[in-house]
Amino acid sequence: MTVIEAPRSRARSRTSFEMYSWIFMRMSGLLLVVLVLGHLLIMNVLDGGVQRVNWGFVAGRWASPFWRTWDLMQLWLAELHGTNGLRTVINDYAVRDSTRFWLKMLLYTSAFLVLVLGTLVIFTFDPSMK
Amino acid sequence: MVQFHTYDTVIVGAGGAGMRAALEAGQRSRTAVLTKLYPTRSHTGAAQGGMCAALANVEEDNWEWHTFDTVKGGDYLVDQDAAEVMCREAIDAVLDLEKMGLPFDRTPEGRIDQRRFGGHTRNHGEAAVRRSCFAADRTGHLILQTLFQQCVKHGIEFYNEFYVLDLLLNGGRTAGVVAYELATGELHVFQAKSVLFATGGFGKVFKVTSNAHTLTGDGMGIVFRRGIPLEDMEFYQFHPTGIWKMGILLTEGARGEGGILRNSDGERFMERYAPTLKDLAPRDLVSRAIYTEIRAGRGCGSARDHVYLDLTHLPPEQLDAKLPDITEFARTYLGIEPYTDPIPIQPTAHYAMGGIPTDIDARVLRNSTEVVPGLFAAGEVACVSVHGANRLGTNSLLDINVFGRRGGLAAAAHANSQVHHVELPDDPAGQVEALLQRLRDGGGQENVAAIRTALQETMDAHASVYRTDATLRQAEADIRALQVRYEKVGVSDRGQRYNTELLEAVELGFLLDLAQVLVVSALARHESRGGHFREDFPTRDDVHFMRHTMAYREGTDVRLDHKPVVQTRYQPSERTY
Amino acid sequence: MTLVTLKIRRYDPELSEDAFWQSFEVPVESGDRLLDALHHVKWYLDGSLTFRRSCAHGVCGSDAMRVNGVNRLACKVLIKDLGDEITVEPLKGLPTMKDLLVDMEPFFDAFRAVKPFLMTSGNAPTRERLQSAEDRARFDDTTKCIMCAACTTACPIFWNDDQYFGPQAIVMAHRFIFDSRDEGAEERLEILNDKEGVWRCRTTFNCTDACPRGIEVTKAIQEVKRALIFHHT
Repeated sequence: MTVIEAPRSRARSRTSFEMYSWIFMRMSGLLLVVLVLGHLLIMNVLDGGVQRVNWGFVAGRWASPFWRTWDLMQLWLAELHGTNGLRTVINDYAVRDSTRFWLKMLLYTSAFLVLVLGTLVIFTFDPSMK
Repeated sequence: MVQFHTYDTVIVGAGGAGMRAALEAGQRSRTAVLTKLYPTRSHTGAAQGGMCAALANVEEDNWEWHTFDTVKGGDYLVDQDAAEVMCREAIDAVLDLEKMGLPFDRTPEGRIDQRRFGGHTRNHGEAAVRRSCFAADRTGHLILQTLFQQCVKHGIEFYNEFYVLDLLLNGGRTAGVVAYELATGELHVFQAKSVLFATGGFGKVFKVTSNAHTLTGDGMGIVFRRGIPLEDMEFYQFHPTGIWKMGILLTEGARGEGGILRNSDGERFMERYAPTLKDLAPRDLVSRAIYTEIRAGRGCGSARDHVYLDLTHLPPEQLDAKLPDITEFARTYLGIEPYTDPIPIQPTAHYAMGGIPTDIDARVLRNSTEVVPGLFAAGEVACVSVHGANRLGTNSLLDINVFGRRGGLAAAAHANSQVHHVELPDDPAGQVEALLQRLRDGGGQENVAAIRTALQETMDAHASVYRTDATLRQAEADIRALQVRYEKVGVSDRGQRYNTELLEAVELGFLLDLAQVLVVSALARHESRGGHFREDFPTRDDVHFMRHTMAYREGTDVRLDHKPVVQTRYQPSERTY
Repeated sequence: MTLVTLKIRRYDPELSEDAFWQSFEVPVESGDRLLDALHHVKWYLDGSLTFRRSCAHGVCGSDAMRVNGVNRLACKVLIKDLGDEITVEPLKGLPTMKDLLVDMEPFFDAFRAVKPFLMTSGNAPTRERLQSAEDRARFDDTTKCIMCAACTTACPIFWNDDQYFGPQAIVMAHRFIFDSRDEGAEERLEILNDKEGVWRCRTTFNCTDACPRGIEVTKAIQEVKRALIFHHT
C-alpha cells in the first residue's frame, strides 16, 4: 500500500554548517589563489628562484610578522580547504556508513597533525637553532 | 487473499476531476483516492490551451454569453441548467485555482491573462472573445500539478497503482469498489458510503488519438457492466489539430494566438466554412472542414491526407512565450521548425462528450430520473450534460473543476448523512476474481494488441468524423467479431507483481464494450448534430432527436432509451459561425 | 522499415533474484519513438516486459528510463537518434521493482518534504492575487517539471546517498521560493539548508542534461543556494 502522507519531517540539523563550509570553500579558494601563487612566485621565480632558498632565506623572511602571517594563513586555509574537499569526496563516494566514518577519522587526524605541526613550526622557529 | 478497507468516500481516478473532488471530500470525510496511475501522470496534464471563465480581465464578457456559446457549441443538446451552473461557477473555479497557486499568465496589470478560443464569442456570436485563462500551453499540466500539490498539503490519502475493476452495489445502493493492486496482484475491497468515479475517457478505441495509452474507459465500462446506462456515447469529439499520423494534440490556442489552417493550395479554407470565426470555429466544424478538404483532393503531402497548421507568420518570440510546448512537439516528433515551416495536422480523437449520466451535483442516474444513492461521477467519465453534442475548447478543464468540486462536496455530504455503510454483497471480489482468472487462463490463441489494433482501425475507418449507416454497421459487425476473439485472449506473464500485461487485457474488454455502445448509439441517431455527423442524414432533426441517448447493457446487446434535454433560455436555432 | 536491436535489462524477482540482459530485434519506422519499439516487444514478442507509460508525448513523466546510458523519456526520444543497438535500463538510484519499473516512493518522499504547495497568510483576496508578468516569469522554468525523476536519478550524489533531496525536490522548492505570491520561502530554504540539502550538489550538470523538459535544473539549484546565502528571493 502506498499512502501519501503529510510532508515528513526529517531529523534536521538546525545549524548552517554545510552552508558555511560551502562558502568557506569558495572564499578560501579565492584567497589561496593569491597566497599560493605569491608563494610559488617568491620561492621559485624571483631573485634567482629556488636555488637561493636555504636556512638563511627562510630565517630572513620569517623575521617579518607579515610573512609569518602569510604562511600561517596559507597553511590553515590550504589544509582546511583540502580537508573539507576530501570530506565531501568521502561523503560522495563511500557507500557504507562505517567506511565513511573511518575514512573521515583518518582524514581529520592527519589534518590535525599537519595543522599542529605546521603552526608549531611557524611560531617556534628559531633562526639560531642548529 | 482479499484485503478489506473501510472509508466514507472513495474516489476512483486522480486526474483533475478526481483530485478536485478529493480536496473537497477529503476535508469533510474519511477519503481514499484509488488511481491506476500516479496522480501526476493523468491526462489532465496534457491539456494545453486554457480554461474559460468570463473574468472580463481583458475585455467585456459575462457568464451568460459563455453559457450561450456552450449551448450553441453543443448544438443545443446541452442541458442548459447544467451549462448555467458551469459557466457561472467558472469564475470562482479559476480564482480558486489561482489561490491554490496555479501560475497563470498575467496581463500588464498583473491580472490573469485571457486569450481567444474556438467557439467562445462576445454577445452571442458577434466576434471571438478573450475568455480562456491560461498558463502558456501547459494549463492542464499546471492544473494537475496544483491540485496534486494541494492534495499533498491537505494530506489526502492516495492508493497509487490500484486499478478499480468493479463497483459493488447492494439493493441498488452503493457499497464500495474492488481494486487490483498492481504491485502485488492482490485484490482489495473498499467499502464506502460514497464512491465517485473520475476515470476519464476512452480515446483508445480510436487509432489516431490525443489520448494517453491509459485512457481505456474503465469507469464507464465498470458501471455499464453493473447495469447503469451510458448517455450520448455517439458524440465523440475529434480535435482538428493533431500531429499527422501520431495524433499528438496541438492546442486550439495555436489558432487563438493567430495560427491558420491551410490546404494544399495554401488557402485559408476555414473562411469558406465559418466566415465570422474562421479558424476559431468549434472543433466539430473544423474537423469536418479538414476532411472535406482532404476528400476534395486539397490535402497536403504525397498521400494528400493532411492539412497544415501555419504559425510561420507569428513572431518567434510569441511562439516561444505562448506556445513553447507544441512547437517543441513539432521539432521533436516531426523534425519541423514551426518558425519557418507549417505543421502537418489531421483531426485526432480527443474527447467523449458522453459518459455516465449525472445531475448537476455529480450524482449518477440509474435511468432518466432516479439517482443511484452514493454513486457519483465527474469529469470526462461523466455526462452532465454540459457539452451536448460537441464540447467547446477549454470547457473540459472547466468541467473537471466545477463538477469535480460539486461532486466532492456531494459525495462527502452523502457519506456524512449515512450512519452505516451499505452492507457488502456476498463474495464481493468474486466477479473480479473470475474475470482475472479467465484472462490468466485464456488459451492465448488471440493477442490483445492485435485485437486492439483491429478495433482502432475499424473505429477510425467507420465511426469517426463521417459516418453512414453502412460504415456503422460494418463497425458493429467488426466489434462483434473482435469480442468473440477477445474470449480467447490469454496472458503470458504468469506473475503477480506489476502484471501490466494482464492490465492491458482487462482494459481491452472495456474498450470493446464502449466501442459497441458508441456504434449502436450512433446507428440509431438518424441526424447530424455536433460531433456526430451522418452523411445519410446530414441535417439536424430537432423534432425526432432533440433528446439524449441512454444506452443500457442487456446481455451482450445494447438497449437504447432516451432522456429529454433541459432547455431554459435558449431555443434551438441554426448553428452558423 | 528497418530492424534495430533493443538490449533490455530484465529483472523479475518472482522468477529470479538476478537481473540479466535480453536482446530483441524490433522492426521500426522512421519517426518511431523508443516507446513504440518497447510496445512492439511487449505486444508481440514478450508480454511480460514491464514498464510504465501513459501520454506517449512527454508530458506525463511516466516512462523515464536509462537509454544508452543516459536518462530519457522513452516517448520523447526517436529511434533514429539512438543507433542500431539500443540499451535500455531502469533508472539508477531507485529500487528496481520489475524490468524497467522502479519504486517511485523515495522520489515522491523528497518531493513532499520541501512543502510543494503555495503558502500564504491572512485572508485570501476576493479576486486573484496580483502578480506582475516579470514576477510570473521569474519561476516559469521550474513550473515545467513533470516529476519524471530523470534529473534526480541522473545525479551521482543521489546514486550514492538516497537521503539527498535530489534535483527534482529542489526544482519544486525553487518554483515556490521564487513565486512572489508565496510566503513560505524561509521555511523551504531552511529545509534545503539541511546537510542532505542543496549543499550536497556538486554542479555536475547531469540533471540539466537529463531533463526532458529543458529545465535549467543546475541553475535553479544554484539560485536556491544564492537565496540561502543572501536571504534574497
